[in-house]
Amino acid sequence: MQSVVEFDNVGLRYGTGAETLTDLSFTLYPGSFYFLTGPSGAGKTSLLKLLYLAHRPSRGAIRMFGHDAVTLPRERLPGFRRRIGVVFQDFRLVQHLSTFDNIALPLRIAGIQEKDLKGPVTEMLAWIGLTERADARPATLSGGEQQRVAIARAVIGRPEMLVADEPTGNVDPDMARRLLQLFAALNRLGTTVVVATHDIHLLQEIEGAQMMRLDKGRLSDPTGSLKHPPRPLVLRN
Amino acid sequence: MLLDFALPEHDRKLIPEGRISGPMPWVIAIMLFLTLLVAAAGLTLADAARQGGDDLAQQVTVQIIEADPVARAGQRAAVAKKLRAVPGIAEVKAVPDAQVRNLLEPWLGTGVIDADIPVPALVDIRFDRVPDAVTLKKLQQILAPIAPVIRLDSHSSWMAPFFELMSALVWLTVAILLLLLIATSAVVVLAVRSALNTHRETIQIMHMMGGTDVQAARLFQRRVALDALLGGAIGFGAAALVILTLGGRFAAVEPGLLAGASLPWYGWIALGLIPLAVMGLAMLMARWTVVSALKKML
Repeated sequence: MQSVVEFDNVGLRYGTGAETLTDLSFTLYPGSFYFLTGPSGAGKTSLLKLLYLAHRPSRGAIRMFGHDAVTLPRERLPGFRRRIGVVFQDFRLVQHLSTFDNIALPLRIAGIQEKDLKGPVTEMLAWIGLTERADARPATLSGGEQQRVAIARAVIGRPEMLVADEPTGNVDPDMARRLLQLFAALNRLGTTVVVATHDIHLLQEIEGAQMMRLDKGRLSDPTGSLKHPPRPLVLRN
Repeated sequence: MLLDFALPEHDRKLIPEGRISGPMPWVIAIMLFLTLLVAAAGLTLADAARQGGDDLAQQVTVQIIEADPVARAGQRAAVAKKLRAVPGIAEVKAVPDAQVRNLLEPWLGTGVIDADIPVPALVDIRFDRVPDAVTLKKLQQILAPIAPVIRLDSHSSWMAPFFELMSALVWLTVAILLLLLIATSAVVVLAVRSALNTHRETIQIMHMMGGTDVQAARLFQRRVALDALLGGAIGFGAAALVILTLGGRFAAVEPGLLAGASLPWYGWIALGLIPLAVMGLAMLMARWTVVSALKKML
Protein backbone atom coordinates (compact mmCIF):
# COMPACT_ATOMS: atom_id res chain seq x y z
CA MET A 1 0.00 0.00 0.00
CA GLN A 2 1.37 3.38 -1.00
CA SER A 3 2.02 5.47 2.09
CA VAL A 4 1.16 9.14 2.53
CA VAL A 5 4.02 9.84 4.91
CA GLU A 6 7.06 7.83 5.94
CA PHE A 7 9.42 8.96 8.66
CA ASP A 8 12.69 7.10 8.94
CA ASN A 9 14.88 7.83 11.95
CA VAL A 10 13.93 11.49 11.91
CA GLY A 11 15.38 13.99 14.37
CA LEU A 12 14.68 17.69 14.75
CA ARG A 13 16.59 20.28 16.70
CA TYR A 14 16.14 24.04 16.75
CA GLY A 15 19.44 25.83 16.38
CA THR A 16 22.12 24.27 18.51
CA GLY A 17 19.77 23.09 21.27
CA ALA A 18 18.94 19.52 22.24
CA GLU A 19 16.84 17.42 19.88
CA THR A 20 13.12 18.18 20.15
CA LEU A 21 12.25 15.05 18.21
CA THR A 22 14.42 11.96 18.27
CA ASP A 23 14.53 8.83 16.12
CA LEU A 24 10.98 9.00 14.78
CA SER A 25 10.12 6.19 12.41
CA PHE A 26 6.53 5.56 11.34
CA THR A 27 4.30 5.37 8.31
CA LEU A 28 0.93 7.03 7.71
CA TYR A 29 -1.41 5.38 5.23
CA PRO A 30 -4.05 6.95 3.00
CA GLY A 31 -7.49 7.18 4.53
CA SER A 32 -6.25 6.51 8.05
CA PHE A 33 -7.10 8.56 11.14
CA TYR A 34 -4.38 9.22 13.70
CA PHE A 35 -4.46 10.88 17.06
CA LEU A 36 -1.19 12.28 18.28
CA THR A 37 -1.08 12.56 22.06
CA GLY A 38 1.45 13.30 24.67
CA PRO A 39 2.14 15.77 27.46
CA SER A 40 2.89 19.42 26.85
CA GLY A 41 6.38 19.89 25.49
CA ALA A 42 6.52 16.33 24.15
CA GLY A 43 7.08 17.68 20.61
CA LYS A 44 3.58 17.26 19.13
CA THR A 45 3.56 20.66 17.45
CA SER A 46 7.11 20.13 16.16
CA LEU A 47 6.09 16.80 14.64
CA LEU A 48 3.06 18.45 13.02
CA LYS A 49 5.35 21.17 11.62
CA LEU A 50 7.39 18.47 9.92
CA LEU A 51 4.16 16.97 8.59
CA TYR A 52 2.94 20.23 7.08
CA LEU A 53 6.40 21.08 5.75
CA ALA A 54 7.00 24.14 7.89
CA HIS A 55 10.38 22.68 8.87
CA ARG A 56 12.84 20.25 7.44
CA PRO A 57 14.28 17.63 9.81
CA SER A 58 17.80 17.93 11.19
CA ARG A 59 18.41 14.33 10.26
CA GLY A 60 16.67 11.25 8.93
CA ALA A 61 14.45 10.77 5.90
CA ILE A 62 10.86 11.84 5.24
CA ARG A 63 8.89 10.66 2.24
CA MET A 64 5.64 12.43 1.53
CA PHE A 65 3.20 11.50 -1.23
CA GLY A 66 5.93 9.29 -2.65
CA HIS A 67 8.61 11.98 -2.78
CA ASP A 68 11.64 12.72 -0.65
CA ALA A 69 10.45 15.70 1.39
CA VAL A 70 13.86 16.44 2.89
CA THR A 71 15.58 17.28 -0.36
CA LEU A 72 12.46 18.51 -2.12
CA PRO A 73 13.38 21.77 -3.90
CA ARG A 74 11.83 24.82 -2.27
CA GLU A 75 9.99 25.71 -5.49
CA ARG A 76 8.04 22.45 -5.28
CA LEU A 77 6.90 22.90 -1.68
CA PRO A 78 3.76 24.96 -2.54
CA GLY A 79 2.42 22.08 -4.64
CA PHE A 80 2.84 19.69 -1.72
CA ARG A 81 1.44 22.13 0.81
CA ARG A 82 -1.75 22.47 -1.24
CA ARG A 83 -2.31 18.78 -0.63
CA ILE A 84 -2.17 19.31 3.14
CA GLY A 85 -4.80 21.07 5.27
CA VAL A 86 -3.55 22.58 8.51
CA VAL A 87 -5.42 23.67 11.64
CA PHE A 88 -2.99 25.71 13.69
CA GLN A 89 -3.13 25.69 17.46
CA ASP A 90 -3.34 29.50 17.47
CA PHE A 91 -5.74 29.46 14.45
CA ARG A 92 -3.60 31.93 12.44
CA LEU A 93 -6.53 33.56 10.71
CA VAL A 94 -5.84 36.61 8.55
CA GLN A 95 -7.12 39.35 10.80
CA HIS A 96 -8.19 41.82 8.11
CA LEU A 97 -10.12 39.24 6.09
CA SER A 98 -13.73 38.29 6.70
CA THR A 99 -14.77 34.81 7.80
CA PHE A 100 -15.79 34.04 4.22
CA ASP A 101 -12.48 35.25 2.79
CA ASN A 102 -10.45 33.35 5.40
CA ILE A 103 -12.20 30.10 4.51
CA ALA A 104 -11.90 30.80 0.79
CA LEU A 105 -8.17 31.59 1.03
CA PRO A 106 -6.77 28.10 0.20
CA LEU A 107 -9.10 27.84 -2.81
CA ARG A 108 -8.06 31.25 -4.07
CA ILE A 109 -4.39 30.41 -3.59
CA ALA A 110 -5.00 27.25 -5.62
CA GLY A 111 -6.48 29.42 -8.37
CA ILE A 112 -10.12 28.34 -8.06
CA GLN A 113 -12.47 30.75 -9.86
CA GLU A 114 -14.79 32.89 -7.74
CA LYS A 115 -17.90 31.34 -9.27
CA ASP A 116 -16.69 27.90 -8.26
CA LEU A 117 -15.75 28.69 -4.68
CA LYS A 118 -18.81 30.55 -3.46
CA GLY A 119 -20.90 27.37 -3.15
CA PRO A 120 -18.38 25.28 -1.17
CA VAL A 121 -17.50 28.17 1.15
CA THR A 122 -21.16 28.96 1.83
CA GLU A 123 -21.81 25.27 2.52
CA MET A 124 -18.84 25.12 4.87
CA LEU A 125 -20.03 28.24 6.69
CA ALA A 126 -23.37 26.52 7.25
CA TRP A 127 -21.61 23.38 8.46
CA ILE A 128 -19.67 25.22 11.13
CA GLY A 129 -22.72 27.33 12.00
CA LEU A 130 -21.26 30.67 11.03
CA THR A 131 -23.40 31.66 8.06
CA GLU A 132 -24.52 34.77 9.89
CA ARG A 133 -20.92 35.73 10.62
CA ALA A 134 -19.66 35.40 7.04
CA ASP A 135 -18.64 39.06 6.93
CA ALA A 136 -17.23 39.24 10.45
CA ARG A 137 -13.53 39.82 11.07
CA PRO A 138 -11.72 37.25 13.29
CA ALA A 139 -11.23 39.81 16.07
CA THR A 140 -15.00 39.97 16.52
CA LEU A 141 -15.37 36.17 16.74
CA SER A 142 -15.11 34.16 19.94
CA GLY A 143 -12.24 31.69 20.41
CA GLY A 144 -14.48 28.78 19.49
CA GLU A 145 -15.78 30.54 16.39
CA GLN A 146 -12.25 31.33 15.27
CA GLN A 147 -11.31 27.71 15.74
CA ARG A 148 -14.23 26.60 13.57
CA VAL A 149 -13.15 29.05 10.86
CA ALA A 150 -9.60 27.69 11.08
CA ILE A 151 -10.92 24.14 10.68
CA ALA A 152 -13.18 25.11 7.80
CA ARG A 153 -10.22 26.78 6.08
CA ALA A 154 -8.14 23.62 6.53
CA VAL A 155 -10.71 21.23 5.08
CA ILE A 156 -12.32 23.38 2.35
CA GLY A 157 -9.81 22.25 -0.27
CA ARG A 158 -10.44 18.54 0.43
CA PRO A 159 -6.76 17.95 1.27
CA GLU A 160 -5.13 14.54 0.95
CA MET A 161 -3.83 14.93 4.49
CA LEU A 162 -5.28 17.02 7.31
CA VAL A 163 -3.03 18.02 10.19
CA ALA A 164 -4.76 19.59 13.19
CA ASP A 165 -3.12 20.91 16.34
CA GLU A 166 -5.58 20.83 19.26
CA PRO A 167 -8.52 21.56 16.94
CA THR A 168 -11.17 21.23 19.64
CA GLY A 169 -9.41 23.04 22.43
CA ASN A 170 -11.68 26.07 22.44
CA VAL A 171 -15.08 24.62 21.58
CA ASP A 172 -17.78 23.07 23.72
CA PRO A 173 -18.12 19.24 23.75
CA ASP A 174 -21.03 19.27 21.29
CA MET A 175 -19.13 21.37 18.79
CA ALA A 176 -16.03 19.25 19.39
CA ARG A 177 -17.98 16.14 18.45
CA ARG A 178 -19.44 17.91 15.43
CA LEU A 179 -16.01 19.00 14.21
CA LEU A 180 -14.61 15.52 14.73
CA GLN A 181 -17.48 14.16 12.65
CA LEU A 182 -16.43 16.61 9.95
CA PHE A 183 -12.90 15.20 10.14
CA ALA A 184 -14.30 11.68 10.08
CA ALA A 185 -16.41 12.48 7.02
CA LEU A 186 -13.35 13.85 5.30
CA ASN A 187 -11.45 10.76 6.39
CA ARG A 188 -14.11 8.52 4.84
CA LEU A 189 -13.56 10.37 1.57
CA GLY A 190 -9.92 9.29 1.70
CA THR A 191 -8.17 12.07 3.58
CA THR A 192 -5.48 10.99 6.04
CA VAL A 193 -6.14 12.82 9.30
CA VAL A 194 -3.62 13.55 12.04
CA VAL A 195 -5.04 15.25 15.12
CA ALA A 196 -2.83 16.33 17.98
CA THR A 197 -4.80 16.51 21.20
CA HIS A 198 -4.60 16.32 24.97
CA ASP A 199 -8.24 15.22 25.16
CA ILE A 200 -8.13 11.46 25.63
CA HIS A 201 -11.95 11.26 25.28
CA LEU A 202 -11.78 12.34 21.68
CA LEU A 203 -9.95 9.13 20.88
CA GLN A 204 -13.15 7.24 21.48
CA GLU A 205 -15.13 9.30 18.99
CA ILE A 206 -13.52 7.95 15.84
CA GLU A 207 -13.87 4.31 15.07
CA GLY A 208 -10.68 2.74 13.79
CA ALA A 209 -8.50 5.66 14.73
CA GLN A 210 -4.95 4.93 15.73
CA MET A 211 -2.86 6.65 18.32
CA MET A 212 0.67 7.90 18.24
CA ARG A 213 2.02 8.96 21.60
CA LEU A 214 4.94 11.30 21.89
CA ASP A 215 6.95 11.59 25.06
CA LYS A 216 10.09 13.69 25.31
CA GLY A 217 10.37 13.76 21.56
CA ARG A 218 10.11 10.00 21.10
CA LEU A 219 7.20 7.90 19.88
CA SER A 220 5.95 5.35 22.40
CA ASP A 221 3.14 2.85 22.91
CA PRO A 222 1.20 3.92 19.88
CA THR A 223 -1.80 1.64 20.25
CA GLY A 224 -2.22 0.73 23.87
CA SER A 225 -5.05 3.00 24.96
CA LEU A 226 -7.35 3.06 21.94
CA LYS A 227 -10.88 1.85 22.55
CA HIS A 228 -11.09 0.32 19.10
CA PRO A 229 -8.21 -1.94 18.15
CA PRO A 230 -6.19 -0.10 15.54
CA ARG A 231 -4.88 -1.36 12.28
CA PRO A 232 -1.22 -2.06 12.79
CA LEU A 233 0.83 1.10 12.76
CA VAL A 234 4.17 0.51 11.17
CA LEU A 235 6.81 1.42 13.69
CA ARG A 236 10.37 0.76 12.85
CA ASN A 237 12.11 1.44 16.13
CA MET B 1 3.82 42.57 -15.66
CA LEU B 2 0.52 44.25 -16.52
CA LEU B 3 -1.30 41.04 -15.69
CA ASP B 4 0.39 41.10 -12.29
CA PHE B 5 -0.89 44.63 -11.85
CA ALA B 6 -4.52 43.63 -12.45
CA LEU B 7 -5.13 41.55 -9.34
CA PRO B 8 -8.63 40.37 -8.47
CA GLU B 9 -10.30 42.29 -5.68
CA HIS B 10 -10.10 39.46 -3.15
CA ASP B 11 -6.34 39.19 -3.63
CA ARG B 12 -6.01 42.93 -3.13
CA LYS B 13 -7.65 42.53 0.26
CA LEU B 14 -4.78 40.32 1.44
CA ILE B 15 -2.47 43.31 1.76
CA PRO B 16 -4.53 46.32 2.85
CA GLU B 17 -3.65 49.29 0.67
CA GLY B 18 -3.23 52.46 2.68
CA ARG B 19 -2.18 54.82 -0.07
CA ILE B 20 -1.54 58.55 0.45
CA SER B 21 -1.36 57.93 4.18
CA GLY B 22 2.08 56.40 3.67
CA PRO B 23 5.15 58.33 2.53
CA MET B 24 5.85 56.21 -0.55
CA PRO B 25 3.80 58.16 -3.15
CA TRP B 26 5.21 61.45 -1.91
CA VAL B 27 8.81 60.24 -1.92
CA ILE B 28 8.33 58.87 -5.43
CA ALA B 29 6.69 62.17 -6.46
CA ILE B 30 9.73 64.14 -5.24
CA MET B 31 12.20 61.74 -6.86
CA LEU B 32 10.26 61.82 -10.12
CA PHE B 33 9.98 65.61 -10.03
CA LEU B 34 13.78 65.84 -9.79
CA THR B 35 14.27 63.08 -12.36
CA LEU B 36 11.97 64.81 -14.85
CA LEU B 37 13.66 68.19 -14.39
CA VAL B 38 17.08 66.66 -14.94
CA ALA B 39 15.80 64.70 -17.94
CA ALA B 40 14.21 67.83 -19.40
CA ALA B 41 17.45 69.78 -18.94
CA GLY B 42 19.42 67.00 -20.58
CA LEU B 43 17.03 66.69 -23.52
CA THR B 44 16.92 70.46 -24.04
CA LEU B 45 20.70 70.77 -23.91
CA ALA B 46 21.16 67.82 -26.24
CA ASP B 47 18.68 69.27 -28.73
CA ALA B 48 20.16 72.77 -28.54
CA ALA B 49 23.68 71.37 -28.95
CA ARG B 50 22.61 69.25 -31.91
CA GLN B 51 20.75 72.04 -33.66
CA GLY B 52 23.35 74.74 -32.96
CA GLY B 53 26.21 72.41 -33.70
CA ASP B 54 24.83 71.31 -37.08
CA ASP B 55 24.07 74.89 -38.04
CA LEU B 56 27.49 76.22 -37.05
CA ALA B 57 29.43 73.29 -38.43
CA GLN B 58 27.96 74.00 -41.89
CA GLN B 59 29.29 77.57 -41.82
CA VAL B 60 32.74 78.60 -43.04
CA THR B 61 34.21 82.11 -43.35
CA VAL B 62 36.64 82.83 -46.17
CA GLN B 63 39.19 85.47 -45.15
CA ILE B 64 40.87 87.27 -48.06
CA ILE B 65 44.15 88.81 -46.96
CA GLU B 66 45.22 91.54 -49.32
CA ALA B 67 46.78 94.89 -48.38
CA ASP B 68 45.43 96.80 -51.38
CA PRO B 69 41.83 97.77 -50.60
CA VAL B 70 40.81 97.92 -54.27
CA ALA B 71 42.31 94.55 -55.08
CA ARG B 72 40.81 93.15 -51.87
CA ALA B 73 37.32 94.33 -52.86
CA GLY B 74 37.76 92.87 -56.32
CA GLN B 75 38.95 89.55 -54.92
CA ARG B 76 35.99 89.46 -52.52
CA ALA B 77 33.51 89.94 -55.33
CA ALA B 78 35.26 87.35 -57.49
CA VAL B 79 35.48 84.86 -54.65
CA ALA B 80 31.78 85.32 -53.83
CA LYS B 81 30.86 84.85 -57.49
CA LYS B 82 33.01 81.73 -57.76
CA LEU B 83 31.62 80.27 -54.55
CA ARG B 84 28.02 80.65 -55.74
CA ALA B 85 28.88 78.31 -58.59
CA VAL B 86 30.43 75.62 -56.34
CA PRO B 87 28.07 72.69 -55.80
CA GLY B 88 27.24 71.91 -52.15
CA ILE B 89 27.27 75.54 -51.05
CA ALA B 90 23.81 76.69 -50.05
CA GLU B 91 24.45 80.33 -49.23
CA VAL B 92 27.17 82.90 -49.94
CA LYS B 93 27.34 86.30 -48.28
CA ALA B 94 30.09 88.86 -48.89
CA VAL B 95 30.48 90.73 -45.63
CA PRO B 96 30.67 94.52 -46.20
CA ASP B 97 33.81 96.30 -44.92
CA ALA B 98 31.74 98.41 -42.54
CA GLN B 99 30.40 95.29 -40.86
CA VAL B 100 33.92 93.86 -40.54
CA ARG B 101 35.04 97.10 -38.86
CA ASN B 102 32.09 96.90 -36.48
CA LEU B 103 33.17 93.37 -35.56
CA LEU B 104 36.69 94.56 -34.78
CA GLU B 105 35.71 97.70 -32.84
CA PRO B 106 35.33 95.96 -29.47
CA TRP B 107 38.98 94.89 -29.66
CA LEU B 108 40.62 97.82 -31.45
CA GLY B 109 38.48 100.71 -30.24
CA THR B 110 35.99 103.05 -31.86
CA GLY B 111 37.28 105.24 -34.68
CA VAL B 112 40.72 103.62 -34.71
CA ILE B 113 40.10 101.58 -37.83
CA ASP B 114 40.29 103.64 -41.01
CA ALA B 115 40.58 102.68 -44.61
CA ASP B 116 44.35 102.50 -44.35
CA ILE B 117 44.37 99.62 -41.88
CA PRO B 118 44.28 96.44 -43.90
CA VAL B 119 41.51 94.29 -42.47
CA PRO B 120 40.73 91.07 -44.28
CA ALA B 121 37.71 90.84 -46.54
CA LEU B 122 35.23 88.23 -45.41
CA VAL B 123 32.84 85.97 -47.27
CA ASP B 124 30.50 83.85 -45.18
CA ILE B 125 29.35 80.61 -46.73
CA ARG B 126 27.00 77.93 -45.60
CA PHE B 127 27.27 74.41 -46.94
CA ASP B 128 24.21 72.27 -47.36
CA ARG B 129 25.94 69.71 -45.15
CA VAL B 130 28.86 69.71 -42.73
CA PRO B 131 32.01 70.00 -44.88
CA ASP B 132 34.91 67.66 -44.23
CA ALA B 133 38.63 68.51 -44.47
CA VAL B 134 38.86 67.29 -48.09
CA THR B 135 36.01 69.59 -49.16
CA LEU B 136 37.68 72.57 -47.49
CA LYS B 137 41.04 71.76 -49.13
CA LYS B 138 39.39 71.52 -52.55
CA LEU B 139 37.67 74.84 -51.93
CA GLN B 140 40.99 76.42 -51.09
CA GLN B 141 42.41 75.09 -54.36
CA ILE B 142 39.43 76.46 -56.34
CA LEU B 143 39.86 79.92 -54.80
CA ALA B 144 43.67 80.12 -55.00
CA PRO B 145 43.79 81.46 -58.60
CA ILE B 146 41.33 84.24 -57.66
CA ALA B 147 42.74 85.27 -54.28
CA PRO B 148 46.29 84.03 -53.60
CA VAL B 149 46.17 84.54 -49.81
CA ILE B 150 42.98 83.20 -48.26
CA ARG B 151 42.15 81.42 -45.02
CA LEU B 152 39.14 79.21 -44.43
CA ASP B 153 37.72 79.42 -40.92
CA SER B 154 35.40 76.56 -40.13
CA HIS B 155 33.03 77.71 -37.39
CA SER B 156 32.88 74.23 -35.95
CA SER B 157 36.53 74.40 -34.91
CA TRP B 158 36.21 77.50 -32.72
CA MET B 159 32.83 76.40 -31.34
CA ALA B 160 34.10 72.90 -30.50
CA PRO B 161 34.96 73.64 -26.82
CA PHE B 162 31.45 75.02 -26.27
CA PHE B 163 29.80 71.96 -27.73
CA GLU B 164 32.15 69.68 -25.83
CA LEU B 165 30.94 71.44 -22.68
CA MET B 166 27.32 70.94 -23.78
CA SER B 167 28.02 67.28 -24.45
CA ALA B 168 29.64 66.90 -21.01
CA LEU B 169 26.58 68.51 -19.41
CA VAL B 170 24.30 66.09 -21.26
CA TRP B 171 26.33 63.16 -19.93
CA LEU B 172 26.21 64.70 -16.48
CA THR B 173 22.40 64.77 -16.65
CA VAL B 174 22.43 61.11 -17.73
CA ALA B 175 24.59 60.27 -14.71
CA ILE B 176 22.29 62.24 -12.37
CA LEU B 177 19.29 60.47 -13.90
CA LEU B 178 20.85 57.09 -13.19
CA LEU B 179 21.64 58.11 -9.61
CA LEU B 180 18.07 59.29 -9.10
CA LEU B 181 16.72 56.02 -10.48
CA ILE B 182 19.04 54.07 -8.16
CA ALA B 183 17.84 56.19 -5.22
CA THR B 184 14.20 55.59 -6.24
CA SER B 185 14.87 51.85 -6.42
CA ALA B 186 16.42 51.95 -2.95
CA VAL B 187 13.36 53.76 -1.60
CA VAL B 188 11.11 51.10 -3.11
CA VAL B 189 13.22 48.27 -1.66
CA LEU B 190 13.10 49.81 1.82
CA ALA B 191 9.35 50.45 1.60
CA VAL B 192 8.64 46.91 0.40
CA ARG B 193 10.83 45.39 3.11
CA SER B 194 8.93 47.41 5.68
CA ALA B 195 5.57 46.33 4.21
CA LEU B 196 6.77 42.74 4.07
CA ASN B 197 7.61 42.86 7.78
CA THR B 198 4.20 44.35 8.54
CA HIS B 199 2.42 41.60 6.60
CA ARG B 200 4.81 38.75 7.41
CA GLU B 201 2.10 36.79 9.24
CA THR B 202 -0.27 36.92 6.25
CA ILE B 203 2.51 35.84 3.89
CA GLN B 204 3.47 32.96 6.18
CA ILE B 205 -0.14 31.78 6.29
CA MET B 206 -0.31 31.97 2.49
CA HIS B 207 2.91 29.96 2.30
CA MET B 208 1.55 27.25 4.58
CA MET B 209 -1.47 26.95 2.30
CA GLY B 210 0.67 26.52 -0.78
CA GLY B 211 1.02 30.12 -1.86
CA THR B 212 4.07 30.74 -4.02
CA ASP B 213 6.64 33.50 -3.71
CA VAL B 214 5.37 35.01 -6.95
CA GLN B 215 1.80 35.10 -5.64
CA ALA B 216 3.02 37.00 -2.58
CA ALA B 217 5.21 39.26 -4.69
CA ARG B 218 2.22 40.20 -6.88
CA LEU B 219 0.41 41.63 -3.88
CA PHE B 220 3.30 43.97 -3.14
CA GLN B 221 3.94 44.74 -6.79
CA ARG B 222 0.44 46.06 -7.20
CA ARG B 223 0.63 48.17 -4.08
CA VAL B 224 3.98 49.65 -5.15
CA ALA B 225 2.72 50.19 -8.70
CA LEU B 226 -0.24 52.20 -7.43
CA ASP B 227 2.01 54.27 -5.17
CA ALA B 228 4.42 54.85 -8.08
CA LEU B 229 1.56 55.78 -10.40
CA LEU B 230 0.18 58.30 -7.94
CA GLY B 231 3.64 59.67 -7.13
CA GLY B 232 4.44 59.74 -10.85
CA ALA B 233 1.33 61.76 -11.66
CA ILE B 234 2.10 64.31 -8.95
CA GLY B 235 5.80 64.49 -9.91
CA PHE B 236 5.00 64.81 -13.62
CA GLY B 237 2.43 67.54 -13.02
CA ALA B 238 4.82 69.60 -10.91
CA ALA B 239 7.74 69.08 -13.30
CA ALA B 240 5.63 69.98 -16.35
CA LEU B 241 4.62 73.23 -14.66
CA VAL B 242 8.26 74.16 -13.99
CA ILE B 243 9.40 73.14 -17.48
CA LEU B 244 6.67 75.20 -19.19
CA THR B 245 7.43 78.21 -16.99
CA LEU B 246 11.19 77.98 -17.67
CA GLY B 247 10.46 77.43 -21.38
CA GLY B 248 8.66 80.76 -21.43
CA ARG B 249 11.67 82.44 -19.79
CA PHE B 250 14.08 80.91 -22.34
CA ALA B 251 11.92 82.10 -25.21
CA ALA B 252 12.34 85.65 -23.92
CA VAL B 253 16.16 85.42 -23.91
CA GLU B 254 18.08 87.50 -26.53
CA PRO B 255 19.16 85.51 -29.59
CA GLY B 256 22.39 83.78 -28.84
CA LEU B 257 23.77 80.36 -28.21
CA LEU B 258 20.83 79.27 -26.07
CA ALA B 259 18.22 81.11 -28.12
CA GLY B 260 15.47 78.74 -29.11
CA ALA B 261 16.57 76.22 -26.48
CA SER B 262 13.36 74.47 -25.60
CA LEU B 263 12.19 70.97 -24.87
CA PRO B 264 11.63 69.29 -28.24
CA TRP B 265 8.38 67.45 -28.95
CA TYR B 266 10.01 64.08 -28.55
CA GLY B 267 11.30 65.30 -25.18
CA TRP B 268 7.74 65.54 -23.90
CA ILE B 269 7.09 61.98 -25.04
CA ALA B 270 10.26 60.85 -23.24
CA LEU B 271 9.22 62.71 -20.09
CA GLY B 272 5.78 61.10 -20.28
CA LEU B 273 7.38 57.68 -20.49
CA ILE B 274 9.64 58.23 -17.47
CA PRO B 275 6.84 57.88 -14.82
CA LEU B 276 5.70 54.68 -16.54
CA ALA B 277 9.27 53.41 -16.62
CA VAL B 278 9.67 54.28 -12.93
CA MET B 279 6.43 52.41 -12.20
CA GLY B 280 7.79 49.38 -14.06
CA LEU B 281 11.10 49.69 -12.24
CA ALA B 282 9.31 49.97 -8.89
CA MET B 283 7.27 46.83 -9.65
CA LEU B 284 10.40 44.93 -10.65
CA MET B 285 12.21 46.05 -7.50
CA ALA B 286 9.19 45.07 -5.38
CA ARG B 287 9.08 41.63 -6.97
CA TRP B 288 12.82 41.14 -6.55
CA THR B 289 12.71 42.31 -2.92
CA VAL B 290 9.81 40.04 -1.95
CA VAL B 291 11.10 36.98 -3.78
CA SER B 292 14.60 37.48 -2.33
CA ALA B 293 13.22 37.88 1.20
CA LEU B 294 10.87 34.90 0.92
CA LYS B 295 13.64 32.64 -0.35
CA LYS B 296 15.06 32.82 3.16
CA MET B 297 11.82 31.24 4.44
CA LEU B 298 11.08 27.57 3.86
